[in-house]
Amino acid sequence: MMVTLNLAVRNLLRNRRRSLATLVAMSIGCAAILLFGGFSANINYNMQTHHVQQGGHLQIQHRDFFLYGNGNPTAYGISDYQKLMAAIQADAVLSNMVLVVTPTLQFGGIAGNYAASVSRTIIGSGFVAEDVSRMRLWNDFQLPNKVKRFELKGAAPDAAIVGTGVARVLQLCDALKIERCPKPEQEAKEEGEALPDDIAKLSAQETPAGGAAPAAPGGQARIEVLVVNSRGAPNVTSVQVVRAEDQGIKELDEVYVMMHLAQIQQLVYGSATPKATSLMIQLQRSDQVPQALERLKPIIARFSASQPLTVLDFRTLNPFYVQTIQMFDTIFGFVFILIGAIVLFTVSNTMNTAVVERTVEIGTLRAIGLRRKGIRSLFVTEGALIGICGALLGVVLALVAAAAINSSGMTWLPPGNVEPLALTLTVWGEVPMVTGTAAGLVCIAVLSAWWPAYRAAQLKVVDALRHV
Amino acid sequence: MSDHEDEDAPASAAPQQGPVAVLSKVFKTYQLDSIEVPVIKGVDILVRHAKFTVLIGPSGSGKTTLLNMLGCIDKPDKGEITVAGEDVVALSDDALSDFRAKNIGFIFQNFNLLPVLSAYENIEYPLLLAGASAKKRGDRVPRLLKAVGLSDRAKNLPGQLSGGQRQRVAIARALARKPKLVIADEPTANLDSTTGAAILALMRRMVDQYGISFIFSTHDPEVIKAADDSIFLKDGVIQAIRRKTEQAA
Repeated sequence: MMVTLNLAVRNLLRNRRRSLATLVAMSIGCAAILLFGGFSANINYNMQTHHVQQGGHLQIQHRDFFLYGNGNPTAYGISDYQKLMAAIQADAVLSNMVLVVTPTLQFGGIAGNYAASVSRTIIGSGFVAEDVSRMRLWNDFQLPNKVKRFELKGAAPDAAIVGTGVARVLQLCDALKIERCPKPEQEAKEEGEALPDDIAKLSAQETPAGGAAPAAPGGQARIEVLVVNSRGAPNVTSVQVVRAEDQGIKELDEVYVMMHLAQIQQLVYGSATPKATSLMIQLQRSDQVPQALERLKPIIARFSASQPLTVLDFRTLNPFYVQTIQMFDTIFGFVFILIGAIVLFTVSNTMNTAVVERTVEIGTLRAIGLRRKGIRSLFVTEGALIGICGALLGVVLALVAAAAINSSGMTWLPPGNVEPLALTLTVWGEVPMVTGTAAGLVCIAVLSAWWPAYRAAQLKVVDALRHV
Repeated sequence: MSDHEDEDAPASAAPQQGPVAVLSKVFKTYQLDSIEVPVIKGVDILVRHAKFTVLIGPSGSGKTTLLNMLGCIDKPDKGEITVAGEDVVALSDDALSDFRAKNIGFIFQNFNLLPVLSAYENIEYPLLLAGASAKKRGDRVPRLLKAVGLSDRAKNLPGQLSGGQRQRVAIARALARKPKLVIADEPTANLDSTTGAAILALMRRMVDQYGISFIFSTHDPEVIKAADDSIFLKDGVIQAIRRKTEQAA
């Protein structure tokens, strides 16, 4: 084996220019695959971080809420969610993994700026601002992104955050100082019509003491939110919009409202026991999800006696995330196949040329007693050496290029994102991707060398010796 | 014979006195496109032990084909070939490779040294193929280099050697595993007359000193003059066989 290896190395060094050209082609191919893989990995980490920051790793919900809850979310409330939270926090194993357990209440309704005589249907969520604020700090992948402050934290109990689309439709752009917020061509009325008496009365009842007047004058960021309460009756409250946040997706941006959990619970459940539609659980790391799921099973079973509950992970809750990752995985596979094919033909061409050039040598080696297998091994070893060196060089090249790009400060705006993200290529530390790609390319190089090697081994000794 | 010389002699040199190779009614035909060209037509040859045998004949007479068959790198269409007591026609490709490695040395007209290996490594290569120990290789290769007068050129690559020096390395490589038969296809054709004569003298010495049988194809009158046995070939048929010892007798 050492004899073959020694001879293979020397044969490769003998035609340095050709070996180098093959090596460079292969290493650039390898680096290209790894850089794309690094980009793809970074998208995965960004999306995962975003979803985990927004909704946690796991959510405990009513069994049917995920599929049917959108139409009437409050019908799927978890009644004794505080006890469930306490049980999770008390679990010895879970308590070591869980960073945040927090309830959320999803609701649907109508938001109106009656001063401007505009309203629209909305969907919204009620949050515990302190908890959500903590959830937004999760950054297990050490991404260099800025942490977006959750404006409900420390805000008044009647504060709300709306999507910029909601603000635009409700004509709150000036009050919220939203840039690039075109007004409709038809002038909005200077003075809005008064609220219908019954709605105004309801709003006055629900508005916390010290709150602003139900029908705010034009230009003030105050809206009325009307929801159907748990008994089927309409309830309205006036909320102060403290901020408009772009939700990234237009359809969501035009309907989404965030409020304090306590306020929306008050609106929906009144004096009845408040419920939550989900318990969001954020873990320290994403790889703890399977273990946490197992641990949650008996707890969920205990609380499912009166209401069927289920636990969903962030992948199930965010099908778009899974689809995006699958799409990038598919593209990665496609890129690998394309570059693999180029490597295959490059190495194969190099080895075929080597066989033709060294035909007399092959005849000589066979004449002095080297078996066919020995000839095959020699050329396959040369292919493998090109593969190993090319892959190693490619890995180094990818690491250097990734480090250069990562430190360049370049940014990009991924689809669905509001703020530009740092262009980061995660190659370092992606051991399965790096080793898999390198091993795959080495295998392709060996495969490329196999056919020329086989051809060389099958040469008749006399024909090989006669070769000119 | 000194101990030193004993070591360099072929393993079977001492006891074996019979013919080292026998060709019996051997036929060989080549297919050139759709035309069949008979090259060897029922040849019988006996190559004697520890003799210097030459195949003489015009181009296309079948000398190289006969050498290839004797060297077990080609097979006859018909007939029997026995080399070192073994019927080589029946051997498989791998068995033939092993047989060649053990029993046959080759010296080519163009030297055919491996260009990436030094003179030392070229001679060492057959021993490495045989799995010889480092000690054995370390003993044998310098001795062979000394025998061919190239001790000071051990580290040189073939490209750094003259034609005569390369052919000396090729001879040393052919002798590395103590073969019973050395096949040489016009070994002096690419050398000037002085170098050719030196190479010839070296090979003659190897025959006499180590008891190895050499068989050549050649047009060189000096080689023919130096041969013990001369086989004249024309159109694939033996025209005459001249054996010096018989003449002497």
